[in-house]
Amino acid sequence: VNRIVVVGGSIAAATAAATLRADGYKGDVVMVSEELVPPYSRVSLSKGVLAGTHSLDSTLLPALPNDIELRLGVKAVYLDSQTARVGLSSGEILGFDGLVIATGARARRLTEPARTGEYVLRTQDDAMLLANRLSGSRSAVVVGGGFLGMEVASTLLNHGLEVTVVDRDPPLERLLGRWLADLIVAKAKTLGTRFAVAPAGVELVGDPVDRVRWNGGDSVVCGDLIVSAAGDLANIEWLQGSGLALADGVVVDDRGLAASGIAAAGDVAAREIGHGVFRRIPHWTNAVRQGQAAARALLDPSVGPFQPEHYFWTEQFGLEIKIAGKLPLRGDPRVVDGSLEECSVLLQWSDTRGDVAAVSVNQRIPVARLKSLAGSISSPA
Amino acid sequence: MKLEVSNLCEGHALCVQTAPEVFELDEDGYARIKFDRVPADLERVAELGARVCPVAAIVVEQ
Repeated sequence: VNRIVVVGGSIAAATAAATLRADGYKGDVVMVSEELVPPYSRVSLSKGVLAGTHSLDSTLLPALPNDIELRLGVKAVYLDSQTARVGLSSGEILGFDGLVIATGARARRLTEPARTGEYVLRTQDDAMLLANRLSGSRSAVVVGGGFLGMEVASTLLNHGLEVTVVDRDPPLERLLGRWLADLIVAKAKTLGTRFAVAPAGVELVGDPVDRVRWNGGDSVVCGDLIVSAAGDLANIEWLQGSGLALADGVVVDDRGLAASGIAAAGDVAAREIGHGVFRRIPHWTNAVRQGQAAARALLDPSVGPFQPEHYFWTEQFGLEIKIAGKLPLRGDPRVVDGSLEECSVLLQWSDTRGDVAAVSVNQRIPVARLKSLAGSISSPA
Repeated sequence: MKLEVSNLCEGHALCVQTAPEVFELDEDGYARIKFDRVPADLERVAELGARVCPVAAIVVEQ
């Protein structure tokens, strides 16, 4: 065979496939995606699409070159890494001399599959279901105060719903550090969002689900709409028995390789960040860079390690926030430009190593400047 | 090939990072195309740069 198979249909997969071609690979490139639509961006699903200002079509990425064979609605069901073959849900078996695993992750649900009324947001379908439900709803409970949960809460609030966010931890704090989390939560509260902390976790009640309960049943919030934004699970079940190391995701080395001739990229890929500690980095910038790295590691066995890049952004509660640097942000920042009172500000975090992170809030600055304010840590080598 | 940056651009600069031969940022931090018409030998890389936009702000016309 003279073929590289890319399993997955999102930005990491699309970037890997297109990079193979851009770097001159002449064999077959076959991309296999479980979804029925061609690659799209999930970024605006929680914002413009849910708000009704962006169409689903606006999320579609530019079409892949036609020398990439895109198979939609087909799932990879097993991998035999010894004989270099992937089994597909169509019954077909594809041999390969290179494989990119980019099967991503799925939303974690809190109820068992047969229960209805728990909404999640991961795919275009999820966004449509949620948007349809939105119109008849007056109140919502969002379980999970991470980036996704807070963005959804913000969109629902804008839509006129009464919104309560419930999480085990104070919202965003574990991700962003206390300072920036406090800034965002304060703004969210000003706009009317309610927050509750449930340290021991919550239970979704009813079928369809119409309440969220915690604290041994002493605390309950009802909602016309219940949305879970409680993290994601890597799609690795099909890799059981493949011989690859699995730990929350597919374990890759610093070049993005899981084994010889097998790379992984995007939300499914996990790197060892400390002894026995593996972490996935599920955000757009990383998916792009890992997709490129995966393609290059397959084409050039001598390729060196790549540096993950630390650049994220979020839009919520009237705040457009761009972040360069490693999270969470520790301690208090310095104001570089703008003003906190006006909620338009450029901030910089430093520690004993020097500058470590920079954040813009409602400020238009070139991202390159933001990254340089974050010191060398956020920019790829 | 012609490219256009729509008003969806939020200035995340993934296009510039991926295809610096084709894209640059203007003074306000928005993406801009360096060419009226992308030269044939840069079409692949231009497409790559367009596709990595997280908000699908770059429109490709053949």
